[in-house]
Amino acid sequence: MARARARWWDRSSASSPGSELLELRGLGKSFGSGAPLLAGVDLHVSPGEWVAIVGESGSGKSTLLNIVAGLDRPERGEVLLEGRPLDFGDDDALALWRRRHVGFVFQAFHLLPYLSVEQNVALPLALLGAPAAQRASQARALLDTVGLASMAGRRPSTLSGGEMQRAAIARALANSPRLLLADEPTGNLDEANASGVLDCLANAVRQAGAAALMVTHSRVAASRADRVLTLAGGKLR
Amino acid sequence: MNPALTASLLRGTFAANGWRILLTIACIALGVALGGAVHTIHTSALAEIDRSARALAGAADLEVRWPSSGFDDALFAKVARLPGVVAANPVVDINAALPGGESLRVLGIDAFRAMAMQPAFVASAASTGSGQVATLLDADALWLSPAAASRLKLAAGGTVRLGTSEGLRDFRVGGVLPGLQAGEVGVMDIASAQLHFGRLGKLSRIDVRVGSDVAAVRESLSTMLPPGVVVSGAASISGRAAELTRAYRVNLDALALVALATGAFLVFSTLALQAARRRQELALLRALGITRGGIVALLSLEGAALGTAGALVGTLLGLAGSRALLSGSGADLGAGYFGGASGAFSPDAWVLGGIAFLGIAMSVAGALWVARAVNRIDVAEALRDRAIDLPAQAHGSALPAMLLAAAGIPLLFTPPIAGLPLGGYAAIALWLAAAIASVAPLCRAVFDRLSPRSAIAQLALAQVRHLPGHLTASVAGIVVSASLCVAMAILVFSFRVTLTDWLGGVVGADLYARASASGDGLYFMPDDQARIASIPGVASIEALRYDRLAIAGAAAPLSLVARPIDERILAGFQVEPRGLPPPGPEPAVWISEAARDLHGWTAGQRITLPIAGRSVEVRVAGVVRDYARTWGAVLIDDRDYRRLTGDVRANDLAIHLSPGTDPAAIESAIRAALPRMHGLQLEEAGEIRRKSLQIFDRSFAVTYALEAIAIIIGLAGVTSSFAAMAWSRKREFGVLRFLGLRRREILAMIAVEGAAAGALGALIGLVSGVAISLVLVRVVNRQSFHWTLEVHWPVTALLLLVGGIIAACALGARFSGSLAVRKEAVLAVKDDA
Repeated sequence: MARARARWWDRSSASSPGSELLELRGLGKSFGSGAPLLAGVDLHVSPGEWVAIVGESGSGKSTLLNIVAGLDRPERGEVLLEGRPLDFGDDDALALWRRRHVGFVFQAFHLLPYLSVEQNVALPLALLGAPAAQRASQARALLDTVGLASMAGRRPSTLSGGEMQRAAIARALANSPRLLLADEPTGNLDEANASGVLDCLANAVRQAGAAALMVTHSRVAASRADRVLTLAGGKLR
Repeated sequence: MNPALTASLLRGTFAANGWRILLTIACIALGVALGGAVHTIHTSALAEIDRSARALAGAADLEVRWPSSGFDDALFAKVARLPGVVAANPVVDINAALPGGESLRVLGIDAFRAMAMQPAFVASAASTGSGQVATLLDADALWLSPAAASRLKLAAGGTVRLGTSEGLRDFRVGGVLPGLQAGEVGVMDIASAQLHFGRLGKLSRIDVRVGSDVAAVRESLSTMLPPGVVVSGAASISGRAAELTRAYRVNLDALALVALATGAFLVFSTLALQAARRRQELALLRALGITRGGIVALLSLEGAALGTAGALVGTLLGLAGSRALLSGSGADLGAGYFGGASGAFSPDAWVLGGIAFLGIAMSVAGALWVARAVNRIDVAEALRDRAIDLPAQAHGSALPAMLLAAAGIPLLFTPPIAGLPLGGYAAIALWLAAAIASVAPLCRAVFDRLSPRSAIAQLALAQVRHLPGHLTASVAGIVVSASLCVAMAILVFSFRVTLTDWLGGVVGADLYARASASGDGLYFMPDDQARIASIPGVASIEALRYDRLAIAGAAAPLSLVARPIDERILAGFQVEPRGLPPPGPEPAVWISEAARDLHGWTAGQRITLPIAGRSVEVRVAGVVRDYARTWGAVLIDDRDYRRLTGDVRANDLAIHLSPGTDPAAIESAIRAALPRMHGLQLEEAGEIRRKSLQIFDRSFAVTYALEAIAIIIGLAGVTSSFAAMAWSRKREFGVLRFLGLRRREILAMIAVEGAAAGALGALIGLVSGVAISLVLVRVVNRQSFHWTLEVHWPVTALLLLVGGIIAACALGARFSGSLAVRKEAVLAVKDDA
């Protein structure tokens, strides 16, 4: 059944120009008995559009991102990708969906320490069953795109923070995602590195034609996006 | 370092990892308990034997004894009159048969002489009443020790039936001797014992009390005694028991120590993982000014704390366990050396303390090894990064493993020291160390060559190649326990197949008759033999006669087996050189391998044996295999034996039946032909072989238990390591879930990691186990028990063992991982998770 759903998502890959790639309708989520974290969030993101969501700590930005990724379940509302709602009841189908269509960039980079930089970048391709030669050539090409071609054989622990995040961006693009999600991608970086990473991210979004959703508390980072929304009081403005 | 700070750091460490700490302590405790229990049981058995021997020896300084058939009682007068001898007491020592197949040790004593030397043999007038003293000399009276009275449920005035040379006979229980704390013993007048048990004119022993110069009297005695009769210190049986069983006891102790060593790896693994997770904390301590020595001290304290807790619990467990075993089933751990020894609990505090100290020392040694790794941490880097492993050593080459393996080779050729194969043990220890040292380099060599197609397997292998230090220690634990199991499996299988083949050769008749299932003093006389031979269906019979020969200077007597010898019998005993020797002026004998090794005899050599009180020159025609007797045996043709001794009796008969004859019918006919032989035992050859193998299997029961515990400890170590690793990799698992791995794929990845680690440990353990098994077969066994074994390979069992270890590691890792993967991926990748 999971494979059938995944194939269903594949068949829906061709979207008409100008149509929404990602749509959030009335998302609601609470933690505990206090005020809801998300109180009816609505959002539309087009292919190739980079949307930044800003807000204070604890405003629900990461929760929103995790719901979009299918890793957290909303209490109300739906998430639609190309008009099809995500089925939050099928964990395996969501995993396969992420494998094929979603790329992630984390604040803490999260490169696997026991793989080389190239192997980290090639990991999504390995999960998709790509042959070794294809994985290697694609990974090197992506590393070249982010300016890390010479670091392919090194371990992540030998890279600087900025280099690790660029490698993580390369990894996020490896499966040619429809949706690129970034959670505080410059949170652990200094200004110079953050700027380089944001340039990288901007190029990546343009080249991939993916819908990109970035959550950040940095106004500087947000200013690089096509659209900036603020999450406050459980709603997007 | 400030004691309060130290205590705080220790508390924090132990509180944060409660279950893992408890598991580690439990494994150390198990190893200490095993070693302590095995040693305590054997010590208690030897102590009881010593107590019994001393109770029987009383005030005697020396004893004159052997052979088992007895020596001329005319010797007593010569011994008693020897200058320097203050008192002498003649003793006839019988193993009398009881109805039902059991036996009772009966001592025939001279009551008047015993009063001076062994008062415990004689009840005081106050306790018996003057009228009862006369019963000491009554031909039908038997006095019992408290243990014998308890077992037989008899008191004064009761009746005990014993098998005598005239048949079953009732003896009146004269009373119980409260001072005779020498096990289950009966005492009767010596003349009565000689009469009823076919020992007229014979003594078993003379106890001698000396005035002052024991050594001088001993020297005088040794020169006047006839061949085959020796003088030794009083209660020498306890020393002989210790020596006879030393190799067996040391082997079991060594096995128990291997189990303890496996537990020590778990300590190392625990401390290494602790240190890895506290990498930043330890780096911070260094940054704040704590020296490398301070870190070493801290980690050593942690190791000592774990080891001490484990040793304490283990010692108490070992004491409780051994006490329970001694009370319940006695001191025999299956090999039969201490069968009959009851539950007197006599722990050796020094040895138990030593075992406990060993447990602590191993824990501290593991901690020191971890401290070395910790002190390689780059402080600045550790404060910055989130790595969860300790720095690897600068070199990970295979050279240390090769050097250790090579160092063991010359030790294989060292002779035994004090009868113990210490060179063999040392070689085994070095090869185990070599196997452990090979884990890291072999991991790289093997896994670097693998490139599976599946992404899950690729991820799993990448993690295992990385092989964190604490996982290496856990795999090392598997290597040690797997080596032990493989080695013992090959040894036991080889021994069993060799023994089975040997039994097939030496138990060649159809039916075997024993004059008494238990007890001595009963024999097949020539008339009995003729009656059996004449039963229709009996094709032929062979008479077997046994005796013990005391060789001066030897720790234990030789067993003499007189029987018909032909090519078939010699082939069954696997003689070398093969075939019957040409006739010669001296009688030919065949010696067992133990006799060859212990006495330095060789085929072709002329030797002198004390047979029937004479020194008889014989020619060693060949060396036979004998797995029934550890201290040496001599085979002689029964015709030569009868010519030399005039003894025509037989203890056993090997009966060959005509084809198609029903053995059950022959058994009935034999019993009908020999109505007076109440203790007669008849068994078919198949039954004898089956029982022999049963005894063999039972003798290794404790070995199997020790192996199982070592494997369990090893698997516990791997599972615990994977559990800790899985928990510390929650973030990684969360990332993989973000990247699209399903939960079951992550669990499959962890299972593959577990299987890979288990396979590495099991395969290294297989190779080292095979090598160690050859040492056990060719060196340890030869030097301990003087037996030649053919090597046979239990392929199925080994495959099952290796497969079982791999499966257990995979399942254990998967189970451990399932708890970590349960945590929601979203929480796991948060920075503050």
